[in-house]
Amino acid sequence: MEILFILGAPLILAILAFVMKNKKAAGIINAISYFAVLSCALLLLKRCVLSECRVSFFGFIYLDALSAFFIFTASVVTFAAALYSIGYVNKDVKEGVISGRRAGIYYSLFNLFCFSMFLVPALNNLGMLWVAIEMTTLISAFLVGFYNTKKSVEAAWKYIIICSVGIILALLGTILFSYAFAVSGVAKSLNWTDIAQVAHILDKNILKIAFIFILVGYGTKAGLAPMHTWLPDAHSQAVSPISALLSGVLLKMALYAILRFGFIIIKGVGFEYFGNLMLLLGVISLVISSGFVLVQKDLKRLLAYSSIEHVGIISIGFGLGAPLGFIGALLHIFNHAVTKSLMFFTAADAISVYKKHNINAIRGVMKALPFAGVMMLLGVFALTGFPPFSIFISEILIIIAAFLNGSYFVAGLLLICLGIVFGAFIYHFGKMLFGNLPKGIIPAGEQLSAKFAYLVLLFPILALGIVLVFKQKDLIWIAQKLFQG
Amino acid sequence: MQAIILFGVLISTYLMVIAKRSTSLIRAFRYQSFCLFLATLIIAFNEKQLDLYIVAGLLFVIKVLAIPRYLYRFLNKIKANEDLGLFINTQLSLLFALGFTYLAWVFARRLIVSDYALAAIVPAAAFFMVLIGIFLMIFRMTALAQIIGLLAAENGLFLLASTVSGGMPFFVEIAIFFDVFVSVIIMGFFIYRINKLFTHIDVNKLSRLRG
Repeated sequence: MEILFILGAPLILAILAFVMKNKKAAGIINAISYFAVLSCALLLLKRCVLSECRVSFFGFIYLDALSAFFIFTASVVTFAAALYSIGYVNKDVKEGVISGRRAGIYYSLFNLFCFSMFLVPALNNLGMLWVAIEMTTLISAFLVGFYNTKKSVEAAWKYIIICSVGIILALLGTILFSYAFAVSGVAKSLNWTDIAQVAHILDKNILKIAFIFILVGYGTKAGLAPMHTWLPDAHSQAVSPISALLSGVLLKMALYAILRFGFIIIKGVGFEYFGNLMLLLGVISLVISSGFVLVQKDLKRLLAYSSIEHVGIISIGFGLGAPLGFIGALLHIFNHAVTKSLMFFTAADAISVYKKHNINAIRGVMKALPFAGVMMLLGVFALTGFPPFSIFISEILIIIAAFLNGSYFVAGLLLICLGIVFGAFIYHFGKMLFGNLPKGIIPAGEQLSAKFAYLVLLFPILALGIVLVFKQKDLIWIAQKLFQG
Repeated sequence: MQAIILFGVLISTYLMVIAKRSTSLIRAFRYQSFCLFLATLIIAFNEKQLDLYIVAGLLFVIKVLAIPRYLYRFLNKIKANEDLGLFINTQLSLLFALGFTYLAWVFARRLIVSDYALAAIVPAAAFFMVLIGIFLMIFRMTALAQIIGLLAAENGLFLLASTVSGGMPFFVEIAIFFDVFVSVIIMGFFIYRINKLFTHIDVNKLSRLRG
C-alpha cells in the first residue's frame, strides 16, 4: 500500500503548489511530504527484499525488489531536491529572476515530474512503461526551458526532439516484443510478467532485433553515447535542483526500462547477447565522456559529461553480469544518484554567487561559500571514486567483476578512463575551490535548506562507503534477490 | 480494398517527402492519417470489436481533424516562413524514399514469421513510414517539419502494432494517443517560444550550445 502514497503524494502536492499563495510555505510542505515519501519507499524496499511483494491493481502495478530499489533511489534524490528547492526558488523570487506565480508553476512541474518518475518502476505493462517514460520527457522539457532564455529554450527543444526520436524507436522495440509474444500463440498481452514467463519459447531473432531498438531508444534517454547529445545541453540549462533529478533519477529510469527488457532477453536469447551490447555502449560512453570532461569550460556541462561517464560504468557493470557486476552496477546507480545531486547543488550555489557557468570565472569557492565549498570538495573525491566514499565500493566491484570475467580489456579501459576523469576533476575543481576570490564577489550567506540537503546526501555516501566494506556477504545475498526479480 | 488503402498510405508518405512548403506537408500528413483511419475501420469491421471502432474514431478526431487544424492555426499565428528548408532537394529525397521502401521490405521479410510472403507487406509499409518520419526530422530545417516527422513515424508504429501484434491492449492505445496529442501541443508551445526569442523556427540555426 506504500506505493499508493508514493504515487499519490506528488499529485496532491502538484495541485497544492499551484493553488497556494505563499510559495515558501509550499516549498516547505513539499520537502516534508517528500520525507514521508522517502520513509514509505524505505518500507517498501524492506518488504520487497525480505518477502515477496507483488501488488497488483488488475495487473497494472507490479513491484519486486528491483522496482522498489529504483523507487527508493528516486525518493532519496527527490527529497534532497525538494529541500534544496526551498532556498533556491526563494532566492530566485527575491532577486526577481522569476515571479511568485512562476515559483508555483515550478513546484507543480517538479511534483508532476517526480510522479512520472515514481510511476516508471511501478508499472507492469510495457506499453504503459513507454507512456510513463515519454511523460517524464514532456514534463521535464518545461523545467529545462524554465528560464525562457535563448539557450534554455534551445536546450529544451533539442531535448524533446532527440528524446522523442529515441522513444519512437523504443516503441518500435516494444511492439516487436509484443509481436514475438503474439507469434508464440500464448495470449495477447503486453504485461512484463506474462512475457517474462514464457521468454524461453519466444522467437530468438525477433527478440534480438527488438532489443536493439529498445537499447537505442531507451539508451537515448539514459544518456548512453553516441545518443547522448541532448544530455549536456539539458543538464546545463535546467533549473539546478532539476539537473540533479535529471542526472540522478531520470537517466536511471531509462536504464530500468532497458533492464526490464534485458531480463526477457537473458531468459530468451542468453546472457551473452545482452552483456555484449551493454558492454559495447558502456565502453563508448566511457571513452567519449572522459575526453569531453577533460576539455570542459562550463561547470554544469562538466558534471553532465561526468553523468554520461557514470552511466557508461553502470552499463559496463550490467554487461559483466551476475552477481558481482550486477550488484556493482545497482549500487553505482544509487551512489551516482546521491553523489551527482550533491555536486549539482554545490555547483548551483557557486554559480549563484559568481553569476557565471564558466569554470575560469569561478575562483575561491572555499572562501565565498565555506560550507558548500567543503561539500564540493568531498563530492569531488566521492565522485571520482575515492575511499571511504560509496562510489569507491561500486566501482571496485565492477572492476573486480571485469577481472574475474576475463575482460581485461574492459577493466584496463575502465581504469584508464577513471584516471583521466580523476585528473580532470582535480584540475578543474582545484582551481575553482582554492585560489583568491575575484574582485567584486561578496561572500554571501548560505541557505539553511541547502545545508540540510547536503547533509541528507552526504549521509548515504559516507554510510554506504564505510558499512559495505564489512558487509559483502549481505550484499551478494541482496544481489541474488534482486536478480531473481 | 485493403490494397487500395495501403497504396494510399504509401502515396501520402511520398507526398510528405516531396513537400516543399509547410502547408503541403501538413496536408500530406492529413491524407496519411485518413488512410490509416480507413484501414483501422476495416479491421474493426472485420473483427467486430468495439475497441477498434473507438480507436478508429480517436484516430480520426485527433490525427485527421485536431492536430492538422492546430498546426495550420499555429502557422498562421506565428507567421513563419512557409519554406521547409530542405537539406536534400526533392528529387534526391524521392530517391532516398525509394531506397527506404526497398529496405523496409527486406527488413520486414526477414522479420515476419509467416509462410505467406505477402504477410510482410503491411509491416513493410509501416517500417517505411517510420523511416520516412525520421528522415524528415533529420533533413528538414524547420521545427514544424520535425513535429510532422515524429507524427509520421508514430503513424507507422500504429500501423505496425495493429497488424503484427493484433493491436495494443486498449488502454495502452488510448494512453499512447493521449501522449502523442500532448507532445504535439507541448512541441507547438516550444516552437512558439523559439519563434518569439529567435524570430525564426529554423532549427539548423540553433547552435548556441556546443561542446
